[in-house]
Amino acid sequence: MAQNINPHYASSSNPAKQNEDTIKLKDNHAVSKRLQKELMELMRCMDKGISAFPESENLFKWIGTINGPLDTVYAGHKYKLSLEFPNSYPYAPPAVKFITPCFHPNVDTCGLICLDILKDKWTALYDVRTVLLSIQSLLAEPNTQSPLNQQASYLWPNQPAYKKYLDDFYNKHKDS
Amino acid sequence: MSSTEPSQNKTWELSLYELHRTPQEVITDATEIAVSPRSLHSELMCPICLDMLKKTMTTKECLHRFCNDCIITALRSGNKECPTCRKKLVSKRSLRPDPNFDLLISKIYPSRDEYEAHQERVLAKLSMSHSQASLVNSITEGIKLQSQNRPQRSRKNQEDNSNTSNTNGNSETPQNGGSTSAPKETGPSANNPAASGQSTSNPASVRSTPSPVPSNVSSISKNTSTTKRAKSILTSERSEESESSDGRTEGENSMDTEGEGEPLNPNEIELVFKPHPTEMTGDNQLMRALRDSSVRYLKTTANASVDHLSKYLAMRLTLDLDAELPEAYRLLNFCIYVAPSPGQFVPLAGSQTLRQINDKFWKVNKPLEMYYSWKKT
Repeated sequence: MAQNINPHYASSSNPAKQNEDTIKLKDNHAVSKRLQKELMELMRCMDKGISAFPESENLFKWIGTINGPLDTVYAGHKYKLSLEFPNSYPYAPPAVKFITPCFHPNVDTCGLICLDILKDKWTALYDVRTVLLSIQSLLAEPNTQSPLNQQASYLWPNQPAYKKYLDDFYNKHKDS
Repeated sequence: MSSTEPSQNKTWELSLYELHRTPQEVITDATEIAVSPRSLHSELMCPICLDMLKKTMTTKECLHRFCNDCIITALRSGNKECPTCRKKLVSKRSLRPDPNFDLLISKIYPSRDEYEAHQERVLAKLSMSHSQASLVNSITEGIKLQSQNRPQRSRKNQEDNSNTSNTNGNSETPQNGGSTSAPKETGPSANNPAASGQSTSNPASVRSTPSPVPSNVSSISKNTSTTKRAKSILTSERSEESESSDGRTEGENSMDTEGEGEPLNPNEIELVFKPHPTEMTGDNQLMRALRDSSVRYLKTTANASVDHLSKYLAMRLTLDLDAELPEAYRLLNFCIYVAPSPGQFVPLAGSQTLRQINDKFWKVNKPLEMYYSWKKT
């Protein structure tokens, strides 16, 4: 499982972010070409439990959905996320956050996600599909050592209580 | 990258190929097996740009391959590790060029341009279906380009025409295409204003946008007359800097100048492509699909070779046929002939340039006539 790092301090030491402006990137065409290929591949193989599609004509902003992994407390839940791709994509990670509020040790109240591969462990080989799959597996296996949501982190070891709180939370917020 | 895979599923270690393959009989006779480019694609693809590898670089330690540009940008932009496996990559010196792999790709895709053009079209179609707005966008862009082009063209015409009136009885053939060559004497020619009007209304050089602009841009003249024709096809998809793509008209009389065989611009050659009369008969699959668009006019640089032409033909015809032709016929293979005298067809070697052919077989000052035949293999 990937290591989770608090995004607030991770972002300050993130080399990808720092260099973003200094890299002279080819052009937007190359980026949209890659995004189009990803889209085509996603539509072709239709992974179970995840999906994503550009929000509008803008290929640089996508909406993704993740189904809570089976056999976990998140089973049956469905979460919407937004993915925004920088011009330096895929050399820099997309900005990913939950739109559907998510009660999880590594997700804060704004929907920001604490996941190393979205920060300093990003590599150009990740794509929309692997990012969504990673977040899906983060739901199943939170890192309670560096929580963004303290309450969720404390509650996690007690799975029945966690499940009860989570379901209430989900049902209250899923349409917001 | 096990961290990115769902843990409940244990089949993830198998590649797609391994999951779907079926047992194969050993081949003992001369049977040939065609491997679809798609199945090779993942091997020849750069995992960063998802395109075919370009100037392949291989990591020295872990032997992962990337395009030169992609891996350099990746190293500059972030962690000094292999994007595929995270092995340390200290600098560019941890990479080495892999020309053998580039060679392999060029062997598998001898017509990479064609392949890429095809891909661009698929992507264009995809984004079209994904948003109507982008379609509208690309059309307006195409129109903008055309209108940018138009005023220049007509200005050029005026210049040419005024030149014409200054010279004596010898009127010049108008060069409407923005061709940069100085006007050359061509003898008295029937200079018809209709032709220039036609060509100005025939927008050119929208080639940079592979967008669905109105299809009259590069179309096929169905007129079989060799000296007067409505349009010529631009060959510039092949980046052969032939800036002119106009409907230049060459008066019949210009042949009076006789002999030297030089086209108007010495660096350009005009030619007519016709199907080989005996090998491309009506029952040929391609002929049926082409129907009346089988005759092609084009103008290109004189140093283009026969290989260039056959690649061009393959791409051009594939683009035009598109849906009509089954996938297996996409990799078109042409044999090109010149007919120095009627009924005599001389096959041409791939490396010969148009100038050589023109000088050797075609001394008259009219478009070079060539024939093509098509092999299924």
